[in-house]
Parts: sequence; C-alpha cells; structure tokens
Amino acid sequence: MDIRLVNLTKVFADKDSEVRAVDNLDTVIPSGKLIGLLGPSGCGKSTTLYMIAGLLNPTEGQIFFGNADVTQLPPEKRGIGLVFQNYALYPHMTVKQNILFPLQNLKVPKAEALQRAQKVADLVAIGSLMNRKPKQLSGGQQQRVAIARALVKNPDVLLLDEPLSNLDARLRLQTREEIKRIQRETGITTIFVTHDQEEAMSISDEIIVMKDGVAQQKGAPQEVYNNPVNLFVAKFLGTPPINVFKGYIKDGGVYIGEDRILETELPEQEVTIGIRPEGFEVNEDGTGDFTLKIKLVEYIGRDKSVVAENEYCESPTFRFIVDADIKNIVDGRVIKAKIKPHKCFIFDKLTEKRLQ
Amino acid sequence: MEVGKKQYKAWLYLAPTLILLIIFTIYPLINTFIIAFKENYNYLNIGYGKGPDSTEYEFSSWGLANFKAIFTKGDFLQYLKTTMIIVFVSVPISVVLSLIIAIALNSIKALQKFYQTVFFMPYVTNTIAIGMVFSVMFATHGGLINNLIKVFGGQPQNWLGGDLMDSAGNSLYPSYWKSMLVLLTYITWNALPFKILILLSGLQSIDKQYYQAAQIDGANKMRIALRITVPLLSPQIAYLTITSFIGAFKEYSSVVAIFGNQAGPKGYRRQMATVVWYVYDRMKTSDMTKGMGYAAAAAVVLFVIIMFFTAINSWVSNKRVHY
Amino acid sequence: MVLLRYFICVLIIVLVPLAVFRKKVLSNREIVTKRYGTNLDTTNTMIGDSVSEVIRREKTIKIIKYIVTYTFLTAVAIFIIAPFYWMIITSLKSTEEVNLPDPTYFPRKIIWSNYRVAMTMSGTYFGRYMINTVIVGVFSTIGTLITTVLSAFAFARLNFKGRDILFTVFLATMMIPGEMMVITNYITVSRLGWINTYQAMIVPFWVSVFYIYLLRQNFKQIPNELYYAAKVDGTGDFQYLLKIMVPIAMPTLITITILKLMGAWNSYVWPNLVTEGKMRLITNGLRTAFTDDQGRSPYNLQMAATTVVTAPLLFIFIFLRKYIMRGVSRSGIKG
Repeated sequence: MDIRLVNLTKVFADKDSEVRAVDNLDTVIPSGKLIGLLGPSGCGKSTTLYMIAGLLNPTEGQIFFGNADVTQLPPEKRGIGLVFQNYALYPHMTVKQNILFPLQNLKVPKAEALQRAQKVADLVAIGSLMNRKPKQLSGGQQQRVAIARALVKNPDVLLLDEPLSNLDARLRLQTREEIKRIQRETGITTIFVTHDQEEAMSISDEIIVMKDGVAQQKGAPQEVYNNPVNLFVAKFLGTPPINVFKGYIKDGGVYIGEDRILETELPEQEVTIGIRPEGFEVNEDGTGDFTLKIKLVEYIGRDKSVVAENEYCESPTFRFIVDADIKNIVDGRVIKAKIKPHKCFIFDKLTEKRLQ
Repeated sequence: MEVGKKQYKAWLYLAPTLILLIIFTIYPLINTFIIAFKENYNYLNIGYGKGPDSTEYEFSSWGLANFKAIFTKGDFLQYLKTTMIIVFVSVPISVVLSLIIAIALNSIKALQKFYQTVFFMPYVTNTIAIGMVFSVMFATHGGLINNLIKVFGGQPQNWLGGDLMDSAGNSLYPSYWKSMLVLLTYITWNALPFKILILLSGLQSIDKQYYQAAQIDGANKMRIALRITVPLLSPQIAYLTITSFIGAFKEYSSVVAIFGNQAGPKGYRRQMATVVWYVYDRMKTSDMTKGMGYAAAAAVVLFVIIMFFTAINSWVSNKRVHY
Repeated sequence: MVLLRYFICVLIIVLVPLAVFRKKVLSNREIVTKRYGTNLDTTNTMIGDSVSEVIRREKTIKIIKYIVTYTFLTAVAIFIIAPFYWMIITSLKSTEEVNLPDPTYFPRKIIWSNYRVAMTMSGTYFGRYMINTVIVGVFSTIGTLITTVLSAFAFARLNFKGRDILFTVFLATMMIPGEMMVITNYITVSRLGWINTYQAMIVPFWVSVFYIYLLRQNFKQIPNELYYAAKVDGTGDFQYLLKIMVPIAMPTLITITILKLMGAWNSYVWPNLVTEGKMRLITNGLRTAFTDDQGRSPYNLQMAATTVVTAPLLFIFIFLRKYIMRGVSRSGIKG
C-alpha cells in the first residue's frame, strides 16, 4: 500500500514565535519499499513520521494510505507499526506481553495471538527471551522487541524513528542489515528516519533528503548521490564530504582561480563548485588542470586519503582520495590534478541549485 | 578525612533530636507495651512498685488481665467493629475514587490547575471544624442533605440523631448505619486531597511515549487506563493503600468532630466510637485501675492489628507492584 | 430499604455515563473489525467512505468524553466545596432563619454580627485560644526547625559510625502509630508537672522524623564540591550549615514551616488531653464551646466560629499553594 503526502505542513506556534517544522511536503512513498527520511536535526523528518503515525495533527495538508484520506484518523485506527527511538517498551510487561498487547487490542483470539507473537519474535531473533522484562534486556534486544511489537499486527506501514542512533557502532551495522532483511521478508512499506547519511544510503530503496521542513530531493540513494539537486544535498551525502570551492564561468569553461577545470555551456557567472573526494585524478607526474598543495597524506590501506589546500576552497583544507599505488604523493608537494566531470557539480552561487 | 575527630561532632548535632526522640518516642513505645501487661495499673503511683493495693502501689501483678478486661467487659469489640467498617469501606472507595479523579484531571488541560486547587482544599482544613459543618449539613431539621432529598422526592432521614428528642431528652432513632454513612462520607471527603495529589503527580511522571506506543498498538482510552496507566501507577497506589489503612485504623478526630466528645448523641453515647476513641476515653477516666492499663492494652491490640494488615498489604504489593 | 435506594441512585449516576461512553467506543470497534476481520491480511486498513464514518464517530466520542469528564470533575468539585459554602452561609444567617425546617441556600439577611457574638460569647475564650494556638505554633515550629536542620545536616553531610543504621531506626519510628506513644507521653507530661502548660503542647513534637527525611534529601542534593571549597576557604562545619546549606534549602524549610504551623493550628487530640479551660487551643474551644446537650446548638454562631478557625488556613493555602502541595507530594514519592 503506498502512502501519499499532499501539501503536508506542520507549524508549531506559541505566543511569540512560529516554527514551520514541515513545509508543504508533497511526495509518494511507493508500496513495499524501504524509504529513508534523511536530514540534520530539526529538518522535520521525525515530525513527518509522527504525522504519518497520527500522533501529531498536520496544520495543513493530507495523508493518504492508498486511496483513503487518513489525515483525521486517530493513531489507534491507522494500522501502522511504530518503533520509537527509545523503544517505549512497557516496563511492567514481559516481552511476550509487550508483543501480545496490539493483538489483544484487536481482539485476536488467544491461541492465534500466541502463535503470531512467537512467529514474529523468531523473525527478529528474540524468540528465547519471551519471559524477560525489558529492563533485563540489552539495548539491541529491546529494539528488536520493539520491532516485533510493531510487526505483530501485520501493519501496512512500518515506521522507525532513528532506529540505529542508540546502538553502539558494531550493533549498528548488524541491525541495519536486520532491518533490511526483515523488510525484504515481509514486504511492508517501511519508512525510517535518520540523520546518518551512511545508514540511509546503505539500506534504503529510496531516500528523501529534508532540510528545514522542506524536501530537497527524493530518489534512489545512488541517484541522489550522483545527481544532487542542490548544494545542501551534495554536501549532506558522502563520506568524506564533498569539497566546495568558489569559482566562475568564463568563455565556456569552469574556473577555480586560474585553473580551467571543465568545459561547459553555461553562461558567465560566479558559481559554487563541489567536487567529490573521489573526483580527483592524480597521476605520477602531478599533471592536470587543478592546482593544489598537499598537506598531509594518510595511508588508509586500500587508498590514500590526502589533505590538501587550495586558496579558493571554502574550508582551510579539503580532502580527496586516490589509489594507494599512485606514487609521488608526498607532503608539501604542489601538484595538479584532473577533475572527473561526473564528480564535479556546479551550483548557482545564490540559489545553490545545481546547474551542471 | 579525620573521621575520628568528627565522630563526636556528629553526635553533638544529633543530641537534641536524639534526646527528644528517646524521651517522647522510643521510651514511650516500650513503656506503653510494658504497661499493657501490668494488671490494675495506676499511673499516679509510679515508683511504688508492685503491690496488692492499687491506691498505694503502681500495679498488682504481671499478666493479661488488661487484655481480658477489654475484650470481655464493655464495648471494645463494638468499637473494633466500627473501626473495621471504617477501614474496609472508606479506604477502597477513596483510593478508587481518587484514582478516577486523578486520571480525569490528567486528561484535561484547561482548568486543570483550578480543579487541582479546589480538590486540595480539604487537606488544609481542621478536621474538627469541618466535621461540625458536616453535622450541620446532615441535621435532621434544616439540614442541606435532607432538603436536597426532599427536593428529589425522597424521605428525609435522621442521620445523626442529635436534634430529635423524646421527653427525657434522649435522641430519637439514631440509626447506626445512617450515622456511619455520614461518617464515611466525611472521612472520604478528607481522604481525597492527599491521594489525588500523589496520584496526579505520579501520572504526570509517566513518560508520554508509553501512551503513544499504546495508541499505535491500537488501544483505546479505557484499555490504556487499565493496562498501562494503572500498572505504572502501582507504586503510588500501593503506598496510598498502606498508609490509608493505617490512618483509618487510627480514626478518631472525624468521629469527635461530627458526633461530639462522647461519640454519639444523648442517650446513644459511644455509638460511633472507634478503638482510638476508647484509648483516649480510658486515659481520662477517674477509675484509675481501669484507666491507663486498659488504654495501653487497647493500644497494643491496635498496634498488632495494624502491623498485621501492613504486612499483608506489603506482601500483596510485592506481588503486584511494578517499579 | 431506604438506604439501599440511595446507594443504588448514586451507583447509577456514576455508572451510566461510563456505560454509555463505553458502548459508543465498543460499537465503533465492532463495526471496524466486523467489516475487515481480524486475521492476518487485513488489520485496520480502511478504504474510502468508511474512514470518514470512523472519523466522524471519533470526533463525537471526543466531544462526549470532554463533556463527561468536565461534568464529573465539576460534580466532585461541588462535593468538595459544598461544606465550605454551607459553612459560610450558615454563619451569616439569623437565628430564626437557621432554625427553619427547610433551609435557605442563601441568607435572606446577612448577619455579620454573628461573628462578633461567637467570638465574645461568655464561656468561650476565643481570643485566648487563638493566642495560645499562635504561641504553640510559633515555638514548636522554631524548635522543629532547629532539630530538623541539625539532624539533617548530621545525616547528610557528616560521616560517623552507625549513621545509616541510626537513620533506618529513625525511619522505622515513622511506622509506629502515635497512639502507642500517647499514653506514656501523657504520664510523662503529667509527672513533669506540665499539665495545662504551653510546654506540654510544644516540646513533645519538636522532633519530626519525616521533616528530617525531607531536609536530608534536599541537603544531599547539594554537591560535595561546595563543601570542600568552603573547607578550603577555612569555613567551619557550622558556618557552612548556616551560611550555605540553609539558604540553598530554603524552599524546603519554608514548606516545613508552613506545614508545621498548619499542623499546630489544626491540632486537637493532644492539646485536648493535656490542657483544660483557658489553656486550650482553638480547635478544642470550637468543639466544646457550642455543643450543648440540651436543645439545639446555635448553628449560625457555631458556623461563624468554624469559619474563623478555617479561613486563615485557606488564605495561606491560596497564596502558598505551591509550597504546601509540593511538600506534601514529596512524602509520596518514596513510601
């Protein structure tokens, strides 16, 4: 079942100020996919999630589950599963009782309920912990109980609020694979919220990048990475982050300082240029179009991560990655590099929209 | 840290408290217990030891005579019955009622503070004072309650028996149960504020996320109240139940407030008396050997009963309270 | 039987709204589950117009719930306020009006002089009683503050052998019903010759373990670093207590003061035991002053006196509400 958000807006207002947490969000979440809502804190992603869940009422706009307008429908009637960031497991109930609770509210007969509960508990691999209380479980286990509780009523939509942020690094990798696996096996339309772009990129079928309540871009992770629609999206995705330079266009060419790095058909103007770390081609002779001074070379096994300087860069230093085998990359050298055109994005200086 | 040097200092700070505590709490506790076992006890003769003549000696012998006396002579058992009714009726009612009120209060935003303040008013009042108001409200002639009953087409009742008299000046038809109803109403009226306050603050400390999760899980308001709110509130409920039990066993002021020093109208004195009323009554009697000794025995009996029920309450709490 | 009828009426008044409300919610869910079943493939999926039906029903339920809740709370409020209202209007009625077989709900003529008469009636010493009560209140509060501050400091800040055991013993005494102590205390007081004196009402209550517990909690929240810093600055323990801990814990101390004063104003049982006549407190005076065994009590005067006794505390409550309620609720956190 797909989810349609139409002009969804949420405004928090008190006597002195107004905050537009979500601003005219208009999008379709396709059925059966794993969608990541990505953005920095305060961008409105959790607010959107809670509106889809029905825990917050939109100021304007509508939400459709399939063809049904559920905007005014209270949360207990929406048939969704929600995994809270802090899990919100009922502390006075055992794991089994926690999972059974939604089924009891739906008046599912006891025998069937127990069966379903066990099935879903096994699905998330906590089948042996049924008689424990939440405080006897580790963080990862608690989360899986929360997921089981959300799934046991076979919801049409599964929502996860920052599912990985409370876990330690090792568990994070493991759990995000679990989420992907569970979503594949059940085929439920799933939306999760995160501020970690690596997480979102790694498991989502599609990501929606948000900033200040406005959706910036929506698409498959690789697509959004390779074709960011504006500077914000380009900067938000990718580790190490994209390198930003001041530049201009003249005579059909893109210039950073004196260096003509690219051909273009864009008219003359000042622009902001973003170049991915992997967008620098360095050869052994140090020839190319773009001048840079090497400050520090970090050898990280498979690659060399190079910290360099260029006076037109927006930050004091920038970073690029090259193959470890390339020789003659040493501290202090001034070299030139070629820029891979598909890794270089030109943005309008004022609107930050992507021009090329 | 020079712990050694500080030792005596700490005791210095505690000295006044300790002295007072020993004189007025610890020693009395033990002493009362001992007195209960001194037969024919006459406190005026303290220091004159054991002896056959209670006009000169403190007590006659060690034994259970005091206990025997209170259970066989007089109306102690009646007072015990009255006390038990108070405990087992008013406590459950006031706990359940205050729970409902607290949940209702918690669910509204507008005027919440206003209602909260109103509901707390009985706590700051004088038990004796408002008790007298109740006796005026329930007066047979010209009382508010009887008037309301008449308005709704019912029969006005002689609630307290005070103002209808026969030619001898004795009160007419004071019914034990009607008077008990008034007493229980008053006790509940007094008992609500504290409970509502505790339960409301307990409710407000429950993380909203549990309610949200329950909503997502499809629970309606009633289910949430029963299966989420009340269990999460169980520590407070247990605490209130235990302390209310203890308080109800010691009920005295409310009785005196409504029914006067003699716990009943003329001709029907001591009708509504409680165990504690008996204790104080014995303390002021002029018949010395039937005074303090009996009072002490009654106090000990009360103490044992309270401890017994507190133990039961605690045992039940352990099984059903979730922290 | 008559009484039974009244019980049933009350039950109906309380239960019917609950039942009605419950029915509405249940029928709503029944419709939904009947239409869509409760098995594996269709949970609460809703399509088309039935969603709007549900929404409409939910809205009505919400409104009904609000009405029921506010009605209920208002009914409770009336139950709580009724005695106060009745007390005040009765106190302002004339003697004829008060003795009417059918009472009026507002005095036909307001007789302010009832108050003057009640206060100055011969045989009652209201002025004296009030002074007594104030004296007892003030001095017992001062004493309690001293013992509480010193003890709480010892338990919270000082390290000494047996500290925790002693504190547990202190707490245990809170569990003992006061009646066990009263008997011996009376004997003690009478042997000290304190019957009918102020001391009898003040001294035995100078220690309150509950307040020590409360203040100790508060003191414990003051960080250790403050103490060490003060030490380094050459401050003695007592100085530290007076100049730093007490000011920081002032809200709790204010709460204790208010509660203690209120307690003195309301105390009845003990003063009743140990005093007679002129030494009594207002509560005792109230109880005995207007109750006579012959004929009727003058309700209007009685209520006037009651109002005088009750009003001060109500005023204090309205203004110092926060302190009082906060102090009382803290006793409920850890039983």
